Amino acid sequence: MWGMTSGALSKLGYPIVEHTLENGLRVISSPDHIAPSVAVNIWYDVGSRDEELGRTGFAHLFEHVMFQGSAHVASGQHIALLQAAGAVVNATTWFDRTNYFETLPTGGLDLALWLEADRMATLLDALTQENLDNQREVVKEEKRQRYDNVPYGDVMELLNTLTFPPDHPYGHTTIGSMEDLDAATLEDVHSFFQRHYLPNNAVLSIVGDVEPEDAFERAEIYFGRLRAGRKPGKPDARPLEPLSGMPRTEASDKVPADVVYFSWRLPARGSRDFDALDLALSVLGHGQTSRLHKHLVRGTEHAEGTGASAMGLIGGNSFGFSYARARDGVSPEQLEQEMSELIEQLVSDGPTDEELRRAKAQFERHWLHELARVDSRADALGEYATLHGNPHLINSRIAEITAIDDDELQSAMQQWFRPDQRATLIYRQDAS
Amino acid sequence: MVPTRSACHLDLPAGRIVREFLPRPAIAPAVVWAFPAPQRTQLSNGIELMIFELPGQHVISAHLVLDVPLNAEHRDIEGVATICARTLDEGTLRHNGEEFAELLETEGAGFGVDLSLSGTQVVLDVPASHLDRALELFAEAVTEPSLADRDVNRHVQLRLAEIEQALANPAQAASIAFRAAVFNESKRAARMNGGEPQTVSQVTPDAVGAFHHDHFGPAGASLVLAGDFAEDPITVAERCLGSWRNDDQQRVMIEDPTPGPRRAVLIDKPGAVQADVRFGSFGIDRLDPRWAAISIASYAMGGAFLSRLNAVLREEKGYTYGVRMNLGPLHRGGSFAIQGSYRTEVVVDALAITRELINVDDAPFSSQEVNDAVAFFTGVSPLRYATAEGVADQAATQVLAGLPDDYVDRSLALLRSVTPEDATEAYRSIVHPDELTLVVVGDADQLADPIRALGFTDLEVRPPALA
Repeated sequence: MWGMTSGALSKLGYPIVEHTLENGLRVISSPDHIAPSVAVNIWYDVGSRDEELGRTGFAHLFEHVMFQGSAHVASGQHIALLQAAGAVVNATTWFDRTNYFETLPTGGLDLALWLEADRMATLLDALTQENLDNQREVVKEEKRQRYDNVPYGDVMELLNTLTFPPDHPYGHTTIGSMEDLDAATLEDVHSFFQRHYLPNNAVLSIVGDVEPEDAFERAEIYFGRLRAGRKPGKPDARPLEPLSGMPRTEASDKVPADVVYFSWRLPARGSRDFDALDLALSVLGHGQTSRLHKHLVRGTEHAEGTGASAMGLIGGNSFGFSYARARDGVSPEQLEQEMSELIEQLVSDGPTDEELRRAKAQFERHWLHELARVDSRADALGEYATLHGNPHLINSRIAEITAIDDDELQSAMQQWFRPDQRATLIYRQDAS
Repeated sequence: MVPTRSACHLDLPAGRIVREFLPRPAIAPAVVWAFPAPQRTQLSNGIELMIFELPGQHVISAHLVLDVPLNAEHRDIEGVATICARTLDEGTLRHNGEEFAELLETEGAGFGVDLSLSGTQVVLDVPASHLDRALELFAEAVTEPSLADRDVNRHVQLRLAEIEQALANPAQAASIAFRAAVFNESKRAARMNGGEPQTVSQVTPDAVGAFHHDHFGPAGASLVLAGDFAEDPITVAERCLGSWRNDDQQRVMIEDPTPGPRRAVLIDKPGAVQADVRFGSFGIDRLDPRWAAISIASYAMGGAFLSRLNAVLREEKGYTYGVRMNLGPLHRGGSFAIQGSYRTEVVVDALAITRELINVDDAPFSSQEVNDAVAFFTGVSPLRYATAEGVADQAATQVLAGLPDDYVDRSLALLRSVTPEDATEAYRSIVHPDELTLVVVGDADQLADPIRALGFTDLEVRPPALA
């Protein structure tokens, strides 16, 4: 039973079959019979980067409106019907996408597809001012709960502002501003829906206890009757140069500790340079053996916590950041100096062979985890089909990461990751 | 009910639909499913080994469940178990700190600890091909950690900083104050699992070493291994952990919590745009005969998206991003809480509505509510337990709670037998709307008087959690 050595799982073999309906809806099937469940996941190629000036937060507000009913589904019933079929249901909005998903016993697959198709076809039939106003309030509560009423809740917004110009598609956060949320109108919902929520602007992934032919047939039954629209243009995705002039800003609030944040503009995801920098940020700040933890938490004991991460984005540039939270009595300036030196060292000498091997091993485990569940695998398929046009990439990601060598890593760091290419945010404890 | 319309729609927006509307499909009956059964055996030192063979699960999940309840800590140094657990992977007698962590991470392994009132779990996630070497390192960390002075002292400081961060977060501050109120203050359950500042600051390297020496051992321990193994897991487990001995190991009975007196507490957070609310009381555990019925009632009240609470407070009123009723079962006894956060202007109205909705005297649970809850719990189980992580985590939870291997199957069968009358009766025997403890973290200037006016006349206002 365990005679086979899985060895280096660099070439995964998850089955992936694609089919495009006449109306342009891309359908992806990945059969997996480990459980009598199926994951249904729709990626719409629209996110906060597609928002217009004065309407920040709208893509996310719209996501909420998608649960307020459609021609044949009453408000709130999308989730209620699915939960009563044993489903876990949700949706999320991010810079590059909005995804809607449910995982449920296979016997509910038709219901899930019917519900998704009904709102893709007829959302506006059920839209009322009352529904929009209600969800506007819910979203404002979400913003208060997740950003405004928690320590450091505005960090993402501050770093976005430092890293991208204000009119850049990534220059504002997905949650948006209260003013813009207040300004959203029914007409905005109409035009957003008509522009972006099209079968030919979406990817439908069906992963689990269903064979591809079956999945495609059902997709055809429920979505085949929708008509394609004009595929919307994408916002300007010309790559920006790395940051220059070392922009910096300070914030202060009643927070428990001073924190130093650095951020970088990185190349767009889907490039070897981005993957190399992802590894570099892992060496710098991921886990207990990372350089920041080793030197600042364990070594000088000047930090109570550190981290670094690359956030892959598709529109010309990605975003990278690192941080260190100061221990009592350590000034953020001192911590900033130490962080900067550690990064300089990493960029000039490169990671050790061991560090690179560890970063790759950690990526492998993370990726295997991601694909182990049918729901997150469906999401990964939608992601790679939507952003890179190729869902099969999920099977080759480990091999791609493993293939990155030290030279590539060093040259990517030299180009994008020098300490003078960073922005700095100092978040101070408000003494008052 | 969902409105249905005639079969043909000519009034839809132009361009969207080219063929007629399809009626809502029925749900096909669920396939019979069972929680996987472990292969059980014992290592030569008595550690109970539970193996779950899960084809296609390439990341192995290992949970070592140790019989170390948190009430084994001396009252003056509570937090010592947490500091001990967190220092395990900071170096062993064979490999110094940095070297140890580097070896483990080179194997692609993730190492973690999870402390609950009824026991300590040490957790390893690792690709199947690296299990042998990684479990060897894992065993070193558990059985012969260095627990060096400098590492212990650092973890004490980091824990103190972590408490500050937790208290600065209103949701966490509310939960901390809620457990302190709901459980009798003489019990360990009333205080944070990781210890409170006064006791954490008293934890010394000697105390950590003594705690490990006195309580970490194979007696009463279980090792859960789940995944698609590349080699015989029994051989690997025996080689890594089978010879572990601790003749001085002391075992401590798990302490059962008792209820605290009902209280109403407002923790001031001047200028807060929202208030976090916890409203609940002492509850029951999974072995109580009412567990299935209260699970269903709680889902109908505050678990489903259109639960009684969420349908009104979120979907109708727009007062909150979400309100839930949570059950917190312990080894014996437990707690329940209705929890949500609301903008300051509507907190008092939200509380008044909550108090009305949670009274089911004139609104017993319906068969529709019960059916929906059963369908939900039944439906989510196969997926939840389809991964190595999900299975191992559940199996470890069952070990800690003293539940049988087929607990999931049994509890689903019990859920299916619950009637609306059972749900209502169980709920009414546990949830007494006028006797619940209230914790609010919010702006006292704006909230204290109106909350008192609601009838919480004994409201105690406390200064901000973070000085």
